[in-house]
Amino acid sequence: MVRKLKNYIGGEWVESTTDTYTPVHNPATCEVVAEAPESTYEDMDRAVQAAQVAFEEWRRMPVLNRAQYMHHFKTLLEDRFEDISRIVVEENGKTIDEARGEVRRGIESVDYAIGMPFLMRNDGVEDISSGIDETTIRQPVGVFGAITPFNFPFMVPIWFMPTAIVCGNTYIMKPSPQTPLSMEITYEILEELDMPEGVVNLVHGGKDAAMAMMEHPGVAGVSFVGSSPVAKIIYETCSRNGKRVQAQGGAKNYIAVMPDADIAASVKNIVGAAYGCAGQRCLAAAVVVGVGDAYDKVREELINQARNLQVGYGLDETTQMGTVVSDAAKQRIENMIEQGVKEGASLDLDGRGIVVNGFEGGSFVGPTILSDVKPDMVVAKEEIFGPVLSIMRADDFEGAVDIINQSKYGNAASIFTSSGKDAREFKYRVNAGNIGVNIGVAAPSASFPFGGQKDSFFGDLHGQGPDSIEFFTERKVVIERWI
Amino acid sequence: MPSLNTFGAIMTFAINLENDLVDYYRAVGDTERAAEADKRRSNLERVRRENVVEITLEAIDGLDEADYAFNFDDTSEAGQSAVETIAARFYEDVAPKINVRQAQRVLSRYAGQHSGLANA
Repeated sequence: MVRKLKNYIGGEWVESTTDTYTPVHNPATCEVVAEAPESTYEDMDRAVQAAQVAFEEWRRMPVLNRAQYMHHFKTLLEDRFEDISRIVVEENGKTIDEARGEVRRGIESVDYAIGMPFLMRNDGVEDISSGIDETTIRQPVGVFGAITPFNFPFMVPIWFMPTAIVCGNTYIMKPSPQTPLSMEITYEILEELDMPEGVVNLVHGGKDAAMAMMEHPGVAGVSFVGSSPVAKIIYETCSRNGKRVQAQGGAKNYIAVMPDADIAASVKNIVGAAYGCAGQRCLAAAVVVGVGDAYDKVREELINQARNLQVGYGLDETTQMGTVVSDAAKQRIENMIEQGVKEGASLDLDGRGIVVNGFEGGSFVGPTILSDVKPDMVVAKEEIFGPVLSIMRADDFEGAVDIINQSKYGNAASIFTSSGKDAREFKYRVNAGNIGVNIGVAAPSASFPFGGQKDSFFGDLHGQGPDSIEFFTERKVVIERWI
Repeated sequence: MPSLNTFGAIMTFAINLENDLVDYYRAVGDTERAAEADKRRSNLERVRRENVVEITLEAIDGLDEADYAFNFDDTSEAGQSAVETIAARFYEDVAPKINVRQAQRVLSRYAGQHSGLANA
């Protein structure tokens, strides 16, 4: 009998009112490890009501006390670090090292939230006018929620929730129905903290639960990470319903490799950026632009290094690349590879049809390289979200920047070079939210804002860092005169 | 034999090695060395947890478990020295392969500790 997941609402694990459940697969073993409820409006409404009730007490708790809960949370996460990492592997398919890295980065967001007693402080001016003092204070807003993706089932939810609640808000998490188990264990840990009931809530589900969160009048704001078409819908729906919203979308991240770059060292990092998490991250390297003489050298080295990657089950420590998240994802990625070939790209390395001993049914796609890719090809323009790296040619630095800035996405872009001048120009001119210099995954740490530009982001305030404090608080100006 | 081709594979091998050394020195009756190995094991678990940098995980090559064959059945002084010599060589080999300075520092330090024990 497969375990049916419960929602966590008002401090209790409760069954959803739905009769519909989605199987949660281990994408390597194909085993159904649980079933997640397709929660209903009624479930979400119950969570919102619990969060609203909790908000009145929670916002009055001193911020130092709220931060103390995060100290305890961090300790328990460290204690359960390996357990959480293994669950991430089992439901997502990435490698255990990648899962550990994900959990580490999630904990960094908890570390950030612990600093909120300092970070929430604001300023004031005495005698802004004769005998009048003016100060700014930050106040929590109410109930916030997150709709999070499958690719980082622990880290992305933890980007938002700790900061939101230490700011004094209450929270509802709706994780991906494909990977709900990381949040289940996280909420088991949160339960151990003995926070007031209703401060943190977990509602599983898909579109219905997401719509309920976005349309519920009791929800003040929503954070989202996922694909661009969905991010746009989330942004429009939340805006229409008068909510704050930060919606992070898809990406097509370009990497320019200059002729003066250290090719072997650069490619080692680019391989990690392209094939890490089987290419299923919004900051994955998707297109390498070889500039001038670098094109042939980087292509040859990429093929050499990528073909040696060991593909396998993520819980095997020697595995260097795991599965994609599902058979459907595998099929979609393989179709994109075929599309690239049909459009005239050269298939230098074909990851289709890879078989891993002992995991013959697993959703594996091996490292794939398409070269001679042209800007108008679908594989150059659309997000593949898999272990497929396209290689394009640019005559010079200017040509590389032109190619990159033509993309409708603007999540991240990197340059590999030993020239400070080119690096500076790249930072200055490329339209992307995250810029890497000699690093393929330009991922901001927890104390910096994370978000893209163009179709990679819908909203104003990015996730993480100071932006998150702005997002989760309302500023109020107090003008005082004592007569 | 499996390859030591990832950050996790190396760190887990090191953790298991120190765990084996705890048992080995307990069997020998050297509680002090067993305690030292246990302390290293615990610290390596922390290092694996805290120094795995998701954005710079890179494949590692040129290392294989087969190159570090320990004979834990030989509890003689010469056997202990041989075990420590291999342990020192393991740490010397793996430290430069790790691209996180903090982890590298700990692995290098342990190479020195095992080298000292080998020559004690």
